[in-house]
Amino acid sequence: MSKQVKRFSKPVILAHWLNAFTFMLLYFTGLPLYSEWFDWVYVLFGGPENARFVHHYGGLVFILPTVFILLVDAKSFTHWMKQIFSWKAHDFAFFKGFAKEFFGLHADIPKQDFYNAGEKINSLLQVFTAFLLIVSGLLMWFADFFTTTLGFSQSIILLAYPMHSIAFGLSVAVVVGHVYLSIGHPNSRPSMQGILKGYISEDYAKAHHGKWYDEEVKDNLKM
Amino acid sequence: MEKMIKFVDVTLCDGCRGCMVACKNWNDLPIEIEEFHGVQSHANVTANTWNVITYTEVERKDGGLDWLFRHASCLHCKEASCEKVCSEDAISHSKYDTVVVDEDKCVGCGYCVEYCPFDVIQLKTLKDGLVEKRKAYKCTMCIDRLDQGLQPACATACHAGSIVYGNKEELLAKAETRLQDVKDRFPNANIYNPKGVGGTNTVYLLADKPSVYGLPESPKVPTSAVVWKDYAQPLGKALLGVTTMAVVGAAISNAINNKGDGGHGHE
Repeated sequence: MSKQVKRFSKPVILAHWLNAFTFMLLYFTGLPLYSEWFDWVYVLFGGPENARFVHHYGGLVFILPTVFILLVDAKSFTHWMKQIFSWKAHDFAFFKGFAKEFFGLHADIPKQDFYNAGEKINSLLQVFTAFLLIVSGLLMWFADFFTTTLGFSQSIILLAYPMHSIAFGLSVAVVVGHVYLSIGHPNSRPSMQGILKGYISEDYAKAHHGKWYDEEVKDNLKM
Repeated sequence: MEKMIKFVDVTLCDGCRGCMVACKNWNDLPIEIEEFHGVQSHANVTANTWNVITYTEVERKDGGLDWLFRHASCLHCKEASCEKVCSEDAISHSKYDTVVVDEDKCVGCGYCVEYCPFDVIQLKTLKDGLVEKRKAYKCTMCIDRLDQGLQPACATACHAGSIVYGNKEELLAKAETRLQDVKDRFPNANIYNPKGVGGTNTVYLLADKPSVYGLPESPKVPTSAVVWKDYAQPLGKALLGVTTMAVVGAAISNAINNKGDGGHGHE
């Protein structure tokens, strides 16, 4: 067994799973409104009023991981933000090989950062859709407050509905890919250790995050 | 089937509120006591009050005063925004071209409430702690009376002949005649049957501009409803299908390509 490399801090892991859990909860309680095929979800929650209750207050919990990580481990958060907005040649070159690799073929992918380009895309889309979902969700839930007290026009409230729908559709599509790569795909599956225990093997770090390994991991391990 | 509409000639209304009582009575709607706001009993229609006579005072050019009454209720749009945005297919058009809510299907999401251009449909809320049981209600045009060959309760009750229910062609022709009749007395009079929502099953002869009555001048199905229901939602479903197929495809091809290899060579 190769050496273990530190990947994520405990607060990051906690924030990730709280985010993942509330996302799924919100997804399932919202699903019957999106497609009538899923009206049975109401039954699971004991009626639409309970599903709505869980969806509303779950939505507030969905805001927590971001607040939590900013309070407890802001360094990891800013590192993540800096990384996902940094796009260089090796990031763009990632996707050519990724398409092959995704379907199980071998491909040469240039050395990647702490977050590879796929993870960067996933993060960007999740951040973007979560922002849209939270803003539009609050606008819909507290429509009366926004129009009566803050003087928002009704057309802004109405804009929240397609916004919520678009972000819902986009975020779910991204999540399907993210979940598959973390638990299904044989090559990337070991990454799950990083977000469960906080450590990955040195081999995995070298193979999947070569640039990060070369610049920040290799020397530390030798010490 | 003979096309029927409700025609409301507000210039004949004397504000007696008989239609309000008849509506409450027939539809078995509970009493709703609101704070005092002058002669008008309720600020707007609600889930329990499907019919309200509005009273609007307008100063005429000659310095005189007009007291304008309007029987306010669901207009039953041909292109009904409430029906378009309903998440559960609970809102539909009846065979009488009226818009009805299926109480059993309604989950109380409230989309229809936000999207109604006339602020008609409302939620009835039953609070149990933080959990809120909700359902949307509004005028049905007394569909259960129409089924029995009766007139809507408001039309039956109206002693002034202001609310009439009958043949569409005849009533639309009557509306034009009445418009000519009242033009001298009410120069701003107009027939309110807004095209933006495909016309309505309740057609008004208004004595003044729609906005004077608190009605939108040119209501339409909101663009956001079209973006949401005609584009975003179908595309979102398709997108989920595409990514799921990609993942399933990847799982299968990985199983084939990695046979006996166990994944990466460098692992």
